[in-house]
Amino acid sequence: MNVELIDLTRRFGRTHAVAGVSLQAGPGVFGLLGPNGAGKTSLLRMMATVLPPTSGRLRLLERDPGSLGPRRVIRRRLGYLPQNLGYYPGFTVTEFVEYFALLKDMPPGRVPRAVAAAIEQVGLADRAKAKLRTLSGGMLRRAGIAQAIVNDPELLLLDEPTAGLDPEQRVAFRAVLRGLGEWATVVVSTHLVEDVGAACTDVALMDAGKLVFHGTPAELIARGEGSRAAGDAPLERGYSAVLAAARSAAGTRSATETRA
Amino acid sequence: MTTTGLHEPLPGAAPAPRAERRAVAALRLAWLYLVSRRVPAALGLLAGLAALLWSALHWHWGIAGGPAAQQFISLSIEAGAAAVIAVTAYGPFGEPERATGRWLPYLRLGEAAALTAIGYAALAAGATGGLLPGGTLALLRNLAGITGIGLLTAAVLGGAFGWTGPIAYLVVTEVALTGNPTTPWVWSARPPHDLGGALCAALVFAAGTAAITLFGARDSGRRSSPE
Repeated sequence: MNVELIDLTRRFGRTHAVAGVSLQAGPGVFGLLGPNGAGKTSLLRMMATVLPPTSGRLRLLERDPGSLGPRRVIRRRLGYLPQNLGYYPGFTVTEFVEYFALLKDMPPGRVPRAVAAAIEQVGLADRAKAKLRTLSGGMLRRAGIAQAIVNDPELLLLDEPTAGLDPEQRVAFRAVLRGLGEWATVVVSTHLVEDVGAACTDVALMDAGKLVFHGTPAELIARGEGSRAAGDAPLERGYSAVLAAARSAAGTRSATETRA
Repeated sequence: MTTTGLHEPLPGAAPAPRAERRAVAALRLAWLYLVSRRVPAALGLLAGLAALLWSALHWHWGIAGGPAAQQFISLSIEAGAAAVIAVTAYGPFGEPERATGRWLPYLRLGEAAALTAIGYAALAAGATGGLLPGGTLALLRNLAGITGIGLLTAAVLGGAFGWTGPIAYLVVTEVALTGNPTTPWVWSARPPHDLGGALCAALVFAAGTAAITLFGARDSGRRSSPE
């Protein structure tokens, strides 16, 4: 298993951003859904080894990221695109991606071809020499995806990767995701349910820091069948039905605890 | 040359030896890192501050008054140089950069140490314009100590705020110099050969360098695990 989380928690002061999540994921595209503040980004940041968990067990690529040596190995084989990607505006697309390839300790002989391939994959080959300051928001997002995939990561973590992409780019990007998911574990945090339906083999739904659903997109659709949950598409209805059930159960538990 | 503009061996040419390729890649990584930290602009500013120091000493710019006034210009220039060095700790890339291999701490350490050395060399060259209070030994102590404060500020508040520590120290020192400070933490008030002042400045520089090497400058209000 490339990702193994056991009872993982992360607190910020009194807030439980992630509250006891257990999860396993092998190769494939794993969709992480949930409303704002559900804990998706905190979970992704822990998997990206930039945020230490408060408690629980985290294993990535069969290693413990809590130790320095294994963490370095994991980071060389990791790709990460956060929600807000910073960049140096004076870099060209090629320099930006090359910088990350070199930081990730890729063999120097492989770097030029890998950089060119990553830029090609995200459809920016014709803008490879353009300065980042001249790119549109969607193009910057694609440059960010290129830096994440340049090292052929075995674990790829993408936070809202399709935000700012137009429909044509989004469709192309889903194809890239499916290709990567054939041998790597790709975790995609998104609000866009249609991305999950089109690209993901597995899906998990988070709410209030907890995992409230884990299954296939077809299983999520099945949860919405026959219910009166809100949504224009079957996946959206499944999403709403699972959230409503989870919140109702949490409300019942809370009321019981208050009475007790 | 590929379509993306990266250098590759010409067809038929023998590939470069592995060690040579590694050295070229290391230099390329260091160059991209320094450019992303705006180090070329920082070098220009350090050269400008050195020219300013030379002018101030050569043409005897001065403010009438006690020790605070006498040291004001040189100390301000030293604090300015430290602020420039501290601000280069700011990195634009955030967490994706932190989530990479082993090189980042070395790059941070190399940058901080090299810029401090270059800053000292530049200001020492500027000091040839006239008589610098305390000489180049005091210059080294002051610059290292105030740079340490700047690096600590960058680690705690963020690279973009790295300048606030040196400027605050300048204000505190100037206020202290109006009295008769005895604490070695106001090292600029001590004679150049004073061991206590030198030790305090060295300690602060070591702490700042260690913090920036291990943790980097704080970004977006988020605290991450060390590299």
